[in-house]
Amino acid sequence: MRYYLYDGSFSGLLTAIYQAFTRKERPAKIIGKEFYRENLFAEKIEIKTEAQAADRVAQAIKRKISARTLRLIYYVFLSEQKGAADLIFSFLELGFKIGQKLDGHYTDPTVLKINRLAKRVSLELHRLLGLIRFQEIDHGIFYAPLEPDNNLLPLLAPHFVRRLADQNWLIHDRKRQLAVVYNQEEWFITPLARFTINNTVQEKQYQGLWQGFFRSITIKNRENPKLQRQFMPKRYWKYLIEKDFS
Amino acid sequence: MKLINKLEILADAAKYDVSCASSGSSRQQLAGGIGNTVNCGICHSWSDDGRCISLLKILFTNYCIYDCVYCVNRVSNDRPRVSFTPAEIAELTINFYRRNYIEGLFLSSAVLKSPDYTMELLLQTVKKLREEERFNGYIHLKAIPGADYSLITRAGLYADRMSVNIELPSKRSLHLLAPQKDPAQIINPMKQIRAGIKSNSEERKRFSKTPRFVPAGQSTQLIIGASPEPDYHILRLSEGLYNNFNLRRIYYSAYVPVGDNPNLPQLTRPPLLREHRLYQADWLLRFYGFKADELLDQRNPNFNTHLDPKANWALNHLDLFPVEINQADYQVLLRVPGIGVKSAQRILAARRTGKITYFDLKKFGTALKRARYFITCQGKYYGGIPLREDLIKDRLTVGRGLDPERQQLSLFTDNNFNPDPSKEIEEILLLKGGTPG
Repeated sequence: MRYYLYDGSFSGLLTAIYQAFTRKERPAKIIGKEFYRENLFAEKIEIKTEAQAADRVAQAIKRKISARTLRLIYYVFLSEQKGAADLIFSFLELGFKIGQKLDGHYTDPTVLKINRLAKRVSLELHRLLGLIRFQEIDHGIFYAPLEPDNNLLPLLAPHFVRRLADQNWLIHDRKRQLAVVYNQEEWFITPLARFTINNTVQEKQYQGLWQGFFRSITIKNRENPKLQRQFMPKRYWKYLIEKDFS
Repeated sequence: MKLINKLEILADAAKYDVSCASSGSSRQQLAGGIGNTVNCGICHSWSDDGRCISLLKILFTNYCIYDCVYCVNRVSNDRPRVSFTPAEIAELTINFYRRNYIEGLFLSSAVLKSPDYTMELLLQTVKKLREEERFNGYIHLKAIPGADYSLITRAGLYADRMSVNIELPSKRSLHLLAPQKDPAQIINPMKQIRAGIKSNSEERKRFSKTPRFVPAGQSTQLIIGASPEPDYHILRLSEGLYNNFNLRRIYYSAYVPVGDNPNLPQLTRPPLLREHRLYQADWLLRFYGFKADELLDQRNPNFNTHLDPKANWALNHLDLFPVEINQADYQVLLRVPGIGVKSAQRILAARRTGKITYFDLKKFGTALKRARYFITCQGKYYGGIPLREDLIKDRLTVGRGLDPERQQLSLFTDNNFNPDPSKEIEEILLLKGGTPG
């Protein structure tokens, strides 16, 4: 039983897949190093991430299957679900066999699982594009905390780089202790554990204005908290200025 | 007055406008500017009534010269009156946008002094936002009925979407409930925007640098249940509007009682189910290839409260069913209750890779609890009961906890409202060049 251990990055995963294909073997498990528990029956193979190998796999996926497939497996990777790497491996195995047809192959259980996981990621991504709340803190930096189910920072960053290009901002994934930092020139992801903030004076004013707007826009005769929670699940309320935020 | 009080009053006054879409426009960021728009639109919050908040939806002012009885801002209604300044709106928009509260601005207004005066104020505001503040996010702007053509055309260069609300679905109701408004005044700006979009798109083919005019198109709103028109009339009107004005959306707003004028119905709650059925039918017109006349007619002018419009249609056309999932055309699949646009597309995609079984359908997002009675899979029917209208109808409505005797709204909806809706609708659209007034 061969276990492939990779470094937890997407390039690492693609390198592991590259290794498996070139050695023509099927690892029992592909697993991030940090999640690996010693196992008597497992033969450990540590995969050293190689950018070139990862790139070759990515190009091959685009050429032989589709660009959509590459995006799909990236989303599944970001879901951080247990067994996601193995699922991606089986998915690509099938993909390299049947090529472009993979996209429409909804009847296959692996394809279905991949699509469902990816959908969960893209749903949360789309929700958070709207639900992230920035607050202005010292030095005029805009700070947004969040605790998403999936590792969304790499997907959120480009959107806000395009949108809020002329302000310094920081999006903080408190669950994973990671942050995207943007300084009007470039963005990067960095580990960030605790972070104390001091709101500016005008920040409190705008929060008050937003709360006032939020209250006034409701039509009382149509109140429907269930519908509200359906679109905006409670787990996201913690950082919403207009909801549980304090 | 403090900004917070103004904001609360003018957001409260704008809340009956249901449109909040920020979709249909895709604008890249601008050097030295703030913001962009994405084609799919983004919702930023949901208010306690479950409606999405995408835009900062406010009126410029709630001072009004009109006295439309269905409207909360009518001049005879005793309410605090305030106006924003363009600078205040720009400040709110930019600062909310920087905090990711909103996708942009939805700016409407009551009519202060005159339509031209009001439109001029709206124009100043959006101009300031775009040119001085370099705001590049979404702007939905109301065209004020009766305002000068040139003002509307100039405003259209700054807005992503424009809209004029028809509100009342017939001339008779308009006359009764908004006596100072002239139907032509409502339809004319819609025509102007349509013409502007058309000539702009032609110009842009020749000169790609031409600034865009209302790139996300126009929309309108109809109030449901403040006047006696049946669903058939409203749906015919919508169809006419989609076909003749290339509207992106028509919004249906269940009437919320805001006054006790004798010409208004006394409702205990807004007719939400009726609004819902109209939205379902609206989708059938736009994405499913249905015509209004297929869904309703003179004898059945209102939607069944217990069945969605598509299921209702299918039950009346059982001779067309069941259809074979492995063979039916896309257009035919779309007409099966329980199969939507996405699942129909997936069925087509999956058919290319092999035969589909009944159990595959669930994976495609098909609602089998409705679809099963109308399909076969590889020749086999899975409905479990004979293909009979009464039996299927029973299964489709059973367990919904609805009392069959309860006819929402039937007290006020006048089924004999209009003997010839097509004539009335053409009149309201003034397509025949009828004289205004």
